[in-house]
Amino acid sequence: MKEAMTGRDSIRSILVVDCGTVMTRAMLLDRVRDGYRLVAQGETPTTWGESSTSVTGGVRHAIQQISDVTSRRFFDENGDLISPQATWQRGTDAFAATVSASEPLQLALGGLAGDLSIASARRAAAGTYAQIETLLNDSQGMPLTDEACVRAIRNAAPEVICIAGGTEGGADRPVLGLVKAATLACSMMDREARPAMLYAGNSRLRKQVAEIVGDEAELRVVENVRPTLDREYLADAQQEFKSLFVQRKLKQMPGVADLSDWSPVSVAPTAQAFGRLIQYLWHLGSPETGVLGVDVGGSNTVIAAVFDEQLRLTVDSRLGAAFGGDRLLQSKNTEVITRWLPEPLSYDETRSLLINKETHPASIPQVEDELWLEQAIAREAIRETLEVARPGWKPGSAQVYPDLMPFCDTIVISGGTLAKAPRPGQAALVILDALQPIGISTLVLDRYGLASALGSVARIKPLAAVEALDAGGLTNLGTVVAPVGEAKPGDTVLKMKVSYDNGSELEVEVRYGDLEILPLPIGQEAVLELTPRRGFDVGVGARGKGDKRRVSGGLAGLIIDARGRPLRLSHETERRREQIQKWLREVGG
Amino acid sequence: MDYATETEIKTLTKIRRERILPRQGEILVSPHDRVEATQVVARTDVPSDFRILPVARQLGVSGTEIEEYLQVDLGDTVHQGTLIAKRGRIFGRSVRSPIDGIVVARGGGRVLIEAQPSPFELHAYIPGTVLDVTDNKKVIIETSGGLVQGTWGVGGESVGVLKIITSRPHSPLRPNSVDPSCHGAILVGGVTADREVLIRAEDTEVRGIVTGGLAPALIPDVKRLPFPVIVTDGIGHTSMAGPIFDLLRANEGREASVSGFVQARWRRKRPEVIIPKPDKTPQVDEARHDKDLTIGSRVRIVRAPHAGSVGEVVNIPQYARRIETGARVRCAEVDIGQREPVDVPFVNLDVLR
Repeated sequence: MKEAMTGRDSIRSILVVDCGTVMTRAMLLDRVRDGYRLVAQGETPTTWGESSTSVTGGVRHAIQQISDVTSRRFFDENGDLISPQATWQRGTDAFAATVSASEPLQLALGGLAGDLSIASARRAAAGTYAQIETLLNDSQGMPLTDEACVRAIRNAAPEVICIAGGTEGGADRPVLGLVKAATLACSMMDREARPAMLYAGNSRLRKQVAEIVGDEAELRVVENVRPTLDREYLADAQQEFKSLFVQRKLKQMPGVADLSDWSPVSVAPTAQAFGRLIQYLWHLGSPETGVLGVDVGGSNTVIAAVFDEQLRLTVDSRLGAAFGGDRLLQSKNTEVITRWLPEPLSYDETRSLLINKETHPASIPQVEDELWLEQAIAREAIRETLEVARPGWKPGSAQVYPDLMPFCDTIVISGGTLAKAPRPGQAALVILDALQPIGISTLVLDRYGLASALGSVARIKPLAAVEALDAGGLTNLGTVVAPVGEAKPGDTVLKMKVSYDNGSELEVEVRYGDLEILPLPIGQEAVLELTPRRGFDVGVGARGKGDKRRVSGGLAGLIIDARGRPLRLSHETERRREQIQKWLREVGG
Repeated sequence: MDYATETEIKTLTKIRRERILPRQGEILVSPHDRVEATQVVARTDVPSDFRILPVARQLGVSGTEIEEYLQVDLGDTVHQGTLIAKRGRIFGRSVRSPIDGIVVARGGGRVLIEAQPSPFELHAYIPGTVLDVTDNKKVIIETSGGLVQGTWGVGGESVGVLKIITSRPHSPLRPNSVDPSCHGAILVGGVTADREVLIRAEDTEVRGIVTGGLAPALIPDVKRLPFPVIVTDGIGHTSMAGPIFDLLRANEGREASVSGFVQARWRRKRPEVIIPKPDKTPQVDEARHDKDLTIGSRVRIVRAPHAGSVGEVVNIPQYARRIETGARVRCAEVDIGQREPVDVPFVNLDVLR
């Protein structure tokens, strides 16, 4: 078992790398005086593909950048990692790697109409890097005919066929019909090209399913994802999807075996490591509210949500900051993207920029038009992922308003487009527009791209992850107060007194429709005395209830978002642009 | 020592290409064989159409009863109209095959008929020497020649003679430049923004188009063309980079192999133009993989405000600089022929090698 690690107490330095689809980052954590700190980092385009056959090229280069600034050597004459650390200038005590650069697992999903099993299977698949290539159900949710089913599987050539359906003790014939059709499709393929079959339906049918599939395909059986109409159970299926992804995708990537050899723990999918960190942060906060993590990567968008200690991970491999924008433009109307822009941008200009970004995914905008477009794509990437994620959350008491977000204590923001936004207020605005948090939340920015790395470090040396976090591994972006309620634009909905630690005070009246930033720099705290208007909820217990709260400052300051929930953009183009321009000005964009 | 992305623009280099069958088949060449670009080097059969006939349902019998009514066995060759199953004599029901094919499965009241597989032939794509063959599936061919990597493309592979139809790298391709002399040629020009150019190219039966920029409105049109289109610099009204234009112009009249396959995501497969010169040997192995960005590197800028400009790195400042959006990032100073070098983030540079 690789997870076992010996000599953890003696670990002084940890080298961590994350191979993303676009960029590879390396980070060195070292013991400095009283704790672990991020000492240096390197970043370079990921090397994998036709001309660069292994991720290790980029990894070595990113590590070399650390060597350049620290004068510390990490590789010996044979190119092997020096571990444990020989002297403070040679080697590292531990190494860990996370990878999101690989292709997603390609899936075919089938289930039954009416029992919600397809939606549950879809959410189970979204727990890892997976892409649904075809559904074995028609637009009404009915299973396809045998011939259409076989044709769909043959055309899509998936790596996994997941069949769900049939509540416990429920329908069996349609489920077995799907299994038969899928087995037939497998039997028509070359043996080495056959997909694995994952059965996640009515458990009473397992024996019959095994008999039908026989040796035509590799069969894996997990607990029913929809045992009853009102109960969803995803854990087993998610674990199996993750295991299939690791086995069929991640471990097949050239270079991953080398990274694995250097590390005492197995190479982890980045999303899982990110989720682990978000779970850890939940333990630091109030148990009644949730903690969210949003990572907009080059190819994938990840939302990690923790409520009642349970992590719900949603990975959307359709849209990231670099890839998928043109698909979005083609599949939906242009306005889905351009509605977030403060200036006009034609369809042709939008399409050119989105395709050229895909051909140069590491590039960054140098002019504002292009910056706004990339931030618009980030908003839509988060919104699309949230659409898949939300129905699977079990927020408990944090969910007061069914159509709005549950109360979240902390929101971690990761991924280059947001973490490296030219102005911190821009990153905050993207999150406010896309997630539309309610009540009081702390926004935390993963400026150094450390979040998933720390999740990975926690497997080797939990103390190092904790101390690196405490030492500023994550940066406060600001505290958001977002009152919920209905009023006319311009009506006062919240009175607020801000008492700063230096004794000064600030009193403000917040009007409905306003987005305001009050000064509260990073490292400072203040006490907010909140008095909402009757019918408005600021997340301190009930509508109309006020309270005092101690909050932290951040790069963007104290943000009051009284624009209403759900956020309403004007239907008139010019008016909407004025809205967006105003909001950008307010956040210092 | 810093990293940027790179685009290969080589006058003479060693080029290896893997040719892979979609499934195992027959390899028709051996190591050390000389091959031509259009030569078939491997072949296989790929599955074709199929039909699943719900014979039990159509005859109104159960799945277990159907055996006695079936008129065909596994492995039987059938033709369109062949009787598959029959129940009753004069006014009974019958099921006939809708296609020519073979009975490959029967059971559960259904019969599966697969049409004859279609033959698939794999061409060499580039002329050269066979280096290796493996698993009845893969052939590796090596040649020497010029190489230009594109950024976007469509339409598979093709072979033809290079013909330059614009005088300068930023000039638009004009419909009247596409005349009967273009038949069988691979057209090269600055910017493609006129739909009429594509219509004429198709009428003239050209073998491909290599263009610096392509108007986004024409993307649906180029996807329908029967030949590949290779975009060397970007979607939009983008010029062809000077070094690419010069290289292609210097090889006008030579035969080239072009591929429009692109997969930016995951595998990053890029479109390309290969100008084979199998009788020439590169002086040095230019195929060395080296992405370091250094002073003197020839680079192309990929983002506005200087997108498409080609220049030389003249300085790599040690500290991050503020760019137009307000972001502070590591930059290189690039001489693009303006009075002063311009600051460009490393990540917005594409090293031309």
